[in-house]
Amino acid sequence: MIRRAFQVVARCGQQGALLRAPCILPGLNPASAFGSSTDSLVSRFCPEKTDLKDYALPNASWCPDMLSLYQEYLEKTKSDGWIKLPSFKSNREHIQGFQLPSGLAVASDKDDCRIFTRCIQVEGRGYEYVIFFHPSKKKSVCLFQPGPYLEGPPGFAHGGSLAAMMDETFSKTAYLAGEGLLTLSLNIRFKNLIPVGSLAVLNVDVEKIEDQKLYISCVTQSRDEQKVYAKSSGIFLQLQLEKESSQQ
Amino acid sequence: MLRSCAKRLRALGSLRGPLPCEPRPALRSFSSKKVVYKDFSIPNPSWSKDIRLLFDEFMKKCEDGSWKRFPSCKYGSIQRTQDFKTFHLDRELTKEDLRTQTRLFTSSFEEGLGFEHVIFCNDVEKRTVCLFQGGPYLEGMPGFLHGGAIATIIDTTLGVSAAIAGGTVMTANLNINFKRPIPLCSVVVINTQLDKVEGRKFFVSGNVQSADEKTLYSEATSLFIKLDPDKSLT
Repeated sequence: MIRRAFQVVARCGQQGALLRAPCILPGLNPASAFGSSTDSLVSRFCPEKTDLKDYALPNASWCPDMLSLYQEYLEKTKSDGWIKLPSFKSNREHIQGFQLPSGLAVASDKDDCRIFTRCIQVEGRGYEYVIFFHPSKKKSVCLFQPGPYLEGPPGFAHGGSLAAMMDETFSKTAYLAGEGLLTLSLNIRFKNLIPVGSLAVLNVDVEKIEDQKLYISCVTQSRDEQKVYAKSSGIFLQLQLEKESSQQ
Repeated sequence: MLRSCAKRLRALGSLRGPLPCEPRPALRSFSSKKVVYKDFSIPNPSWSKDIRLLFDEFMKKCEDGSWKRFPSCKYGSIQRTQDFKTFHLDRELTKEDLRTQTRLFTSSFEEGLGFEHVIFCNDVEKRTVCLFQGGPYLEGMPGFLHGGAIATIIDTTLGVSAAIAGGTVMTANLNINFKRPIPLCSVVVINTQLDKVEGRKFFVSGNVQSADEKTLYSEATSLFIKLDPDKSLT
């Protein structure tokens, strides 16, 4: 059944219809078509042993707020069902052994690609962030500290950097909650500017999964919740990754 | 994809304040800090043939003055920064040493790796066009641009449209519909248009298309607010 799903997805991709209209897989219940459970997605995403560098770990640039909130959530990973997501240099490292569905996958020989939110690797200068995910509640929390290279208005983070952090948190959440793979839309209402070097907390919830789409929302605020920085929502398209062919 | 050997400073960025739209690169030196601000919104070795061709097309359009190339600075214009500080921030909050470490987000990259772009404006038609080539440090799904990188360059271009009309503005709302993913290192054109002004509100819309205009990648609408000089942001 899974193989047939891949074939149908591939056909849709070749016709170019894939992205203009969600490709409802014929004869398959959408809920069961995306049969990888959250647990199996999480275990695939969070390898127990890996040589890959995890950037979502404290370093000297993290402000005290970020460090203490990180510790709080780390405690919650022991008993409350939260999981700290690893963050590698590139999505290629996250989906090792898998690839985008044919029709979408592009042959790429670039070794020097980086995921946008890990583009600035000098500690503290760019995106400092860590995402905690709760599989059964389908929620995420992202602790985000924008560095001085993300500046927009003097002393504050560029709106685009927050948009990217939202899209990235949505993206990982959508993938683990239901194989959401591509952003269909983003809607952001900016309320207040985030000072460079301070902590912003993104609280993300999956609202619903329907018609091959995941609907997801976020409130970004200061740690004490006194200041709301932005509210946003996104829609993601469900697509299954394919196992990498042996020719690669 | 060409890789740059030279470690030149990149200076691409978006200004949201009063704009000096000069058609040729400007060199300014500020003797107090001994910093030279150079315009880098011109072709460099990492630019592909597609973006160079488009650049030449638009430079031709600048000849009669209807279009203007928007110069980019790594650190934003000094004038914009002064206005912003004077009107909108408590002075104590802005630390001078932090300033010297900061960079405008869209210009924090080595040549060819991030946001290679140039912006052209047409005041009469109230249109702003950005030619954009997204490099390998902007990846999302393997082989494609990150949605957040696309959002950043769309926000930048919409912002220029709003700033031309409104001076110092800030994004209030941003809505983007992604139709197709954009391949890494390809060249796209972001077209934006100022639709409506209501008091301090500036409504700007835009889209992202392939260089040959045959593929529509995204559509966007936005609302920018002109900052009130009497109100502090903090």
